Amino acid sequence: MAKQGTPAGLIGTTAFQGLAVSEMSAQGVSALPLLVVEHPLGGERPDSIARRAQQAFEQLNALIGGSATRSAGTATKDPTTGATTVSNGPPTIQSGLAGPATTMPQSGELFLDLPDDPTAVFEAFTKRAWADGLPIIPPTEERVRAMLGGRDGGKTLGVMPPLWRQVTLDKLAVNAVMAGCEPRAFPIIIAAVEAMLDRSFNLYGVQATTHPVAPLLVVNGAYGREVGLHGGSGCFGPGFRANATIGRAIRLILLNVGGAWPGRYDMATQGSPAKYSYCIAENEAASPWEPMASGDTVTVFGGEPPHNVNDHVATTASAVLTTLCDTAVSLGSNVGWYFSQSQLMVVLGPEHARTIADDGFTRADVQRFVYEHARLTLGQLKLGGMWGMHDWPRWMTAVADPATLLPQVPSPEDIYVVVAGGSGKHSAVIPNCTFSRAVSRPIAVP
Amino acid sequence: MAQIRVLSPVGVVKVQTVAVPSLPQSWRGRTVGFLDNTKSNFDRLVTDLGELLRARYGVAAIVHRKKANASTPASTELIEELAKQCDVVFAGSAD
Repeated sequence: MAKQGTPAGLIGTTAFQGLAVSEMSAQGVSALPLLVVEHPLGGERPDSIARRAQQAFEQLNALIGGSATRSAGTATKDPTTGATTVSNGPPTIQSGLAGPATTMPQSGELFLDLPDDPTAVFEAFTKRAWADGLPIIPPTEERVRAMLGGRDGGKTLGVMPPLWRQVTLDKLAVNAVMAGCEPRAFPIIIAAVEAMLDRSFNLYGVQATTHPVAPLLVVNGAYGREVGLHGGSGCFGPGFRANATIGRAIRLILLNVGGAWPGRYDMATQGSPAKYSYCIAENEAASPWEPMASGDTVTVFGGEPPHNVNDHVATTASAVLTTLCDTAVSLGSNVGWYFSQSQLMVVLGPEHARTIADDGFTRADVQRFVYEHARLTLGQLKLGGMWGMHDWPRWMTAVADPATLLPQVPSPEDIYVVVAGGSGKHSAVIPNCTFSRAVSRPIAVP
Repeated sequence: MAQIRVLSPVGVVKVQTVAVPSLPQSWRGRTVGFLDNTKSNFDRLVTDLGELLRARYGVAAIVHRKKANASTPASTELIEELAKQCDVVFAGSAD
């Protein structure tokens, strides 16, 4: 709006001030006024909101009066007296509700000359917030060149939020080396990044949200298997180099190229273990149906960690899926609140999949059953969650009977069904974050 | 000890600084817009801040519009509507 000539500004809270300032800088509009009020707004009483409005007004007053910098002020609360004062100095960076301030990444250095010692390299990267807390493989020029495999390192796939940095192949390669990837994994990483940059995926929302969403990569096709991706027993857990390192490379890219550092730009309240690495192959050999995606394909799905579905007694499709549907819905789930972008992934263990298929169910039948039965009533939804800030189509907002069961996703096609895992009577459901749609991309197999 | 050269994993920002219009010095008679990101209580904040702007600055009108939801960008139509109707617009950011 400001770029088009309308005077504009932002209003945010102290906890998200750092994200706002950096976002404005990355967009070239750091001169925009930013009014900062006490965090939080949500859950506060009317008198508390009135106080915050006064804070915003006083900052605006100072800006217009010319007695402060354009960065307005910061609202801070005296822990002893509870009084809030607004300073008109440069905004201070809040680290969140509790805990130490996070280290600020330094993006000015293009390379480092370090002692050739794993610990020294690890410490240097950690100090600069270039790593995820775990040791890395030093990204030497030789290793990065090998990872690029003759590709033009300067080629850009676009810009990555939340700091809108250039997504060049050389930077993807650096992070892939750090993660421990083999060069043959690089085409999968490129395809996954392309998928995440698709507008439908809403990577900005995924990166900056308070929700613990992480992009899950599901890889189909022979190339993924050739690279070593595992879709069998324990596939979501440790032990498989391709799963671990490709997933980790994605997270390092999101951190270092996108800039989504936890607590400052990635505002996930608690995060999740899935943010370290989240990548599997579909177990196509054990699936009774066709692959979820055809050919050599990577699908990225913005999801929570897997929620286990334990059913040791079902002998019919209906029985397995009834247990699964009950697990799939909860008041605390994000799915369904922003309806048009809500999706669910169903990860059937091979034994459950076999029970379902032996009952004559196709994948489409599974999608339809889950769509029809993974529901909550209007009355339940009114109890909390995101009630009041939901974004529903007109037909849903018109529903009045509290006993009406409402769908979680717009259509059966928004339920992704994949087979993965090993022996045992377990499956999983993975709710999405409600504001990102899964995207698939073909892998450019060399 | 021998040295090793390692490359930075950090993406590069290529951004052109944009000149942004200044806030008006006089707000009397003006229309102020708020782009609500639908996060809890931002609407209440808009109501209270709007009252202050009317009472203290003589702002004539407050326009309050909500995005579809908190996690996707505002539509082009919504942005254009606010730009057309308002002299100044404030957008809610994050929580």
